[in-house]
Order: sequence, then C-alpha cells, then structure tokens
Amino acid sequence: MSSIRFERISRTFRVGGQLVPALADIDLHVDEREFVAIVGPSGCGKTTLLRMAAGLDHPTSGRVLVGGRPVTGPGPDRAVVFQQFALFPWKTIRDNIGFGLKCTGVSRAQREPIVERYLKVMGLDGHGDAYPHQLSGGMQQRVALARSYALEPEVLLMDEPFGALDAQTRIDMQEELIRLSRVHPRTVLFITHSVDEAVYLADRVVAMDRRPGRVREIMDIAQIRRSEKWGELPVEEVMDLESFNHLRTRIWRLLRRGDGEASGHGVVDNPPLRTQPAQKTKLRRAQ
Amino acid sequence: MALATQHPGLRWLPYSLAGAAIFLAVWSLLPQAGIVPSALLPSPMAVGKTFFELTQEPFAGYTIQQHLLSSFIRFASGFGLAAAIGVPLGLLMGWYRWLDRAVAPIFETIRFIAPIAWLPFAVLWFGTGIGGPILIIFSGAFPACLINAYRGARLTQGFLIEAAETLGAKPRHIITEVVMPSALPSIVAGLRIGAGVGWQSLIGAELIVVSSGVGYLMVQGQGNLATEKVMAGMVAIGCVGVLIDVALRAAERHFRRFEQA
Amino acid sequence: MLRQETRVPVWLPGTLSVASCIGLWVVATTFEFVGPARLPGPKDLWESFEQLMDPGYAGGTLPQQVWFSVRLVLAGFAVAIVTGVPLGILMGMSRRAEALINPAFLVIRPIPPLAWIPLAILWFGLGNGAKIFVIWFGAFVPALINTYTGVRSVDPGLIAAARVHGARPWHVLFEVVVPGALPLIFTGLRLALQASWTALVAAELVGAFYGLGRVLMTAARDIYPGMIAAAMICVALLGASMTYLLGLAEAKATPWRNR
Ligand SMILES: Nc1ncnc2c1ncn2[C@@H]1O[C@H](COP(=O)(O)OP(=O)(O)O)[C@@H](O)[C@H]1O
Ligand SMILES: [Mg+2]
Repeated sequence: MSSIRFERISRTFRVGGQLVPALADIDLHVDEREFVAIVGPSGCGKTTLLRMAAGLDHPTSGRVLVGGRPVTGPGPDRAVVFQQFALFPWKTIRDNIGFGLKCTGVSRAQREPIVERYLKVMGLDGHGDAYPHQLSGGMQQRVALARSYALEPEVLLMDEPFGALDAQTRIDMQEELIRLSRVHPRTVLFITHSVDEAVYLADRVVAMDRRPGRVREIMDIAQIRRSEKWGELPVEEVMDLESFNHLRTRIWRLLRRGDGEASGHGVVDNPPLRTQPAQKTKLRRAQ
Repeated sequence: MALATQHPGLRWLPYSLAGAAIFLAVWSLLPQAGIVPSALLPSPMAVGKTFFELTQEPFAGYTIQQHLLSSFIRFASGFGLAAAIGVPLGLLMGWYRWLDRAVAPIFETIRFIAPIAWLPFAVLWFGTGIGGPILIIFSGAFPACLINAYRGARLTQGFLIEAAETLGAKPRHIITEVVMPSALPSIVAGLRIGAGVGWQSLIGAELIVVSSGVGYLMVQGQGNLATEKVMAGMVAIGCVGVLIDVALRAAERHFRRFEQA
Repeated sequence: MLRQETRVPVWLPGTLSVASCIGLWVVATTFEFVGPARLPGPKDLWESFEQLMDPGYAGGTLPQQVWFSVRLVLAGFAVAIVTGVPLGILMGMSRRAEALINPAFLVIRPIPPLAWIPLAILWFGLGNGAKIFVIWFGAFVPALINTYTGVRSVDPGLIAAARVHGARPWHVLFEVVVPGALPLIFTGLRLALQASWTALVAAELVGAFYGLGRVLMTAARDIYPGMIAAAMICVALLGASMTYLLGLAEAKATPWRNR
C-alpha cells in the first residue's frame, strides 16, 4: 500500500518568461519496500522528481501516485530527508525528533517513549537536550533520520542526504541506513550523486539524462545483493567485490557517455557544496 | 603592557579614560571659569546634587521617582499594546500575502507621519491622562514592531517550512513553531528599536500636554529657569532608556542562544 | 514569498483595503457617527486647506509655514551631516579617536533628542537656534553611528589592495573607504532625515512663532480637527518627498548598486 508511481511526468519551469523543460515523460515506479536510487548529472531533475513525490512540487502533466492515491500535498506519510538536514535550530534534539508526532496530535506522554527509542536507535543518547548546532554534521543527519523514522512513514524520500558529510561519516551513515532498512523496511526513493552509494544501497539504480531530464536506464541490483548477502558485509568488503565493481563501472560509463553526447564533456556532478541546495530553495521561494 | 597585548581592547583604555576625563573637565570648567554662566550650564556636581534633592523633595507635584514611575507606566502600556498588535500582525503579513498587500499601502502612508504629530488627535480622542500618551507611544513603537516581525517571517528558510510540512505540520504549527521562532531574533531587535522610539515620543508628549512624568518635570524646570533640574531630568530619562535597552538586549541574547557562535 | 500565489490579482487586496478605509471615513463623517469635533470629514479637510492657503492660519499662509519649517529642517540636517559624517569617518578610521570620543558619546547618546528641547530653549530661547540645535542633535546620532559602522565594514583587503598599488592615505580615504561606507552612510542619512522631522515637529509643538508645528499646536488649542489633519498631511508629504529626494541622491552617488 505504499508504492510510488510516476506516470508520464513532465515538468516545465518558467524562468524569466521562458519555458524550460526540466523533466520530460518520466515513467517510474518504486514498489512497496523497495529501495530505489537515482543518479544523474546535476540539474537533470532528480530533486524536482523527489519533491513531486513529497507533494512540494507538482507535475505540469502526468500524475504521481503514492499508495495508489494521487499526491496533492506534503504529509507525514511520506518523510523527506533533506541534504541540508533542515533541523529546527531553536528546538532541542528531543523536540526536533518529536516535532512530527506533535503536529500529528500525539500527546506528550505518548511521544516521550518514541523519541527516547529513536535517540537510542540512532546512537544519540545523551544528546537529547542539545541544540542542533552543538552536534557534528553526521549526528545532525542522524537526528533528521530519527525525526523522519519517528513518524513511522511508509515512504522515505531522501535527497542527497549524505551529500554534506565527510567521506568517513558518509560510509558510517550508509551502513547505518542498511541496518535500519533491515530492521524497519520502507519504500525508499534515494537521490545521490555518488554511484558507489547508489550501488551499495539500492535494489534498483535509475540513471538519468539531462535537458530535459529523462530516465536513461534502470539497473536491477536486488538479485546480486541478495545472493551475495551484501547487507551483512561491511562496506569495504562489498566495494571489493567483482560484481560491485562491474556494476558501478557500467553506470559510470552510462552516465559519461550520456553526458558527453549532450554537452561535449563527460562529468558526473561533483559533491555540491552544503549551501547550494539552501540557496536553490531560496531562489525557488523568491519567485 | 602584557595585559594590554592580551586584551586588545585594553590597549585603548587610556584613551577612553582620557576622553572621559576631558568630557567631565570641560563640562565642569566651562561654568567655573565663567566662560558659560552656571545658570545655563550647571556643573556635573550641581546636577548630581539636584538629582538627589529631587528624589527627596517633590517638584512639579511629585518626587522624581514618582514622575519616573508615572512615565514608565504610560510607556509600558503603550509599548505593550504596540508589541501585542504589531508583532502578530507583522508575522501574519509575512505569511499571508493578501494580508500583506491589504495592509501595506495604509501602513506605508501612515508611517510617514512623525509619531509626535499625532499628539493633537491623541489628546482630542483620548485626553491627556493616560489614553493620549498611550496613543503617542503606540504610534512610535508600532512600526518597528510590525516591520521587524514581518521581515523575520519573510526571511524564514523555505526548506525549514517544507520540512515542517512534510512532517505533517498545519499552518498554525508552521506559524507558531517555525516562522515565529525563526523570526524571534528579528522581533526582539524590532522591540528594541520600537522601545527607543516609543520612550522618546512619550517624553515629547509629556513636554507638551501631560501634567506628570519626567517630561513634565523638565518643562516646569525650564519654566523656572532651573537648568540643573532640566538636566537632572535628562539624566533620569537617559538612565531609564538604558535600562529598557539592557533588558531587551538580554532578551535578545536569550533568544539567540540556539544560534551558532 | 513563503506561500504559493493564489489567483487573487496583486492589486486587489490593497485597493480594497484603501477604498474601504476611505469609504468608512466618508460615511462615518458625513452621517456623523463620529462628531466633527473629533474627526474631520472630507469637506472640513478641504476647507481647512483653503483657509490655510488664502488668509492663512497661525501667523502665515501654507507656503510661508512650509518654507519656515523646511528651512529649519534643512539647516539642522545639513549641520548634522557636516558634523556627524566626518566624525564617524574619523572614529571608524582611528581606534585612538574612537576611544577618545566614545565616553562622551556614550553619555549623550541614550538621551533622546526630544529630551533636549527644554534645555535648548533655556540656552537659545524660542527662536530658530533652539530648533536647529534639537534637529541637529536628532540627526547627528544616526548619521554618526551609521557612518562609523559603514567605515568599519569596509573590507580591509580592499584597503590593502589600494595601498600596494601605491595609494596615499588621502586616496585610500576618498577612493576606498568613503565609497565603501556610502551605502551605510545613506542609511544613516535616511534615519537622520526622519529624526529631523520628528524633532522639528516636537520643537515647534513645544513653542514656536511660525511653522507647521505651530499650525498643529494652534489647531489643537482651537479644537479644529480639519486644520490638525491638514497640518499632519503637510508634514507627512514633506517628509516623504525629502526622503524620496534623498533616495535619488543615493542612486546617483552609488551607481554600482543600481540594478
Ligand atoms: N523553482 C524552479 N524554477 C526554475 N527552474 C527550476 C526550479 N527548480 C528546478 N529548476 C530547474 O530544473 C532543473 C532540474 O533541477 P533539479 O531538480 O534541482 O536538478 P538536480 O536535483 O538533479 O540537480 C534545473 O535545470 C533547474 O535549474
Ligand atoms: Mg538536487
């Protein structure tokens, strides 16, 4: 009851009087309890796609269905994890995690045990009364994850959630996410600019093209993941496997070729600066 | 010197002390040397003495503490009213565009009227007791309260609002739990500005129509050609102004505590 | 903006609210829900303006009163610029000067300009001197503070860049520091202009022989709401147009900031 379907989605933005197609004719589905990762060059519309599933943006044509019902707006059944964490700076960690519960009308007494449980699950014990700025980036992203998980949503939408973390923390968080999805399986749409991350985490990897954004290819990894038991191995072991390397090289080739044809040079986007998405959000709002 | 290099601020302390000394010296010597008649510029000592006397003996009906108290009560009522209306209205204007568009033209027009120019109507409508002065303080403090709340609301990070929406927040949650706390530093800064303008407008009103308060004390002092009483009144006004500002500054620090250093 | 646009046209809410305010005023005064002794109607307002134009009121016609007040504001404002801006630059450039001047400034600054009116009257009488003094003081403080902040906010890298290109201190001051501080100086001047009008009105309300404040005060004594409103409108219009002119000057003086 929690699949995501994009049905012939197009999205056109009006920029200074001109119509700019950002997404064209996207057909994509994420099955219940499936983990789908999207990779693609910067500006190919990954964020736009995810925002539509979240109900924060709307397609120019086509429809988005979550759990079989058309998406009309944001709601607590679809948790979003943002790259810039989006924690409330004026709330303690505890209040941040409990925010969604509070908004959906869960009483304080009922909230407390849930918040405590997620503090523990995310390894945040002892930080409950801290403010976000007192925590490291990795810890802040754990809080953001805890805040989403606390609502027990069927669907998780993650937009480059580890993009602002340093390499090591990032790996830790990837393992954490694998562990979590084993304990609490969810339908996940995961956006990343890291091919390694996509291959390591996802059941299927979607590679996208730019201008306008289209689905270039979809790769099924679930079979190999299950047969080689990736989920039980540490990251570095998985990354050493021949199957892993084969897959990631294939995606790299695909992306480079696609981009090379489009613009003459083949670069998959670099890790964006932490402030970039925030600025983009502001620009969006400023219109 | 060791201390001075450790604390860069201390390096300039001698100059500050010299500056203070020069200021006091000029002020005391001008009347003493007969350059300026002491009836026009009483020395700091004379002003201090008068201030003390005013705390003991009533002048213009009351002691200076009583004058201060009646000024402060007027100030607190007018300022409280301005904050209670201005801040929520500013927040709502930051959130609801139609409200912004409806209120802005009226507000922008009225804002060009100096608060003190409302005095004749304030007296006509509400009398010289407490109603009139309250309107004057209100018109002084209201614009800053409203504008800063409005700006603070408008500058709320879009992604925080979106995050709240995806977590199931309804408009009322977003306003009280996201927009308002995010705007709080700006709101408090606005309260500080508004308090300053309101306090000054009240003094203006007391100079002209009211028959108690520090402003009234000063007008009476002026009428009696008692410069030292006028200056004692100025000192009192300055002190209350500083106290109000210090209190609001402390509030500002309190509300900024969650921010990164 | 935070919220998505609705389908209501941009101009509609403002037009509606202004129209309903004016409508309410016209209805309330013509049907005398509010008595003419409290709120003037459109007709009262018009007649007050006519009276102010032709025989004049409180010792002069409208142009005379306006000229009288504007002259005082311009004088006080000019003196404030001439004293406040250079002093602000000096305090911003030299820590020594700042430390020397600050104590006196710290004592004087918390006293609001309007609280100087009785002292000014004792010192200079009820004539122009007292008013110019009060206006000067009101405008001086924001002019100085903002100039100082502006100078301090100039990027030291720019000053160093000018130095290594052989700029003399004089050049550094006029080619780097002053242009860099100019936006904030103009902010200060805008605040100073507002303060000037406030100080003028208050000073003329306390005691004056001519001027718009005098008109306001006389009308208050005569309980003449139409004239009170007329004087308020004049003060507001003058303040608004002088602020507008200052904005034009700012655009001229800082062309690199125009979009
Ligand atoms: N609100 C908007 N207004 C105009 N153009 C936008 C807006 N949002 C996104 N775009 C454009 O749509 C394209 C896709 O953007 P985005 O979804 O952010 O890409 P990605 O996340 O893959 O980097 C880009 O070209 C971007 O400039
Ligand atoms: Mg993106």
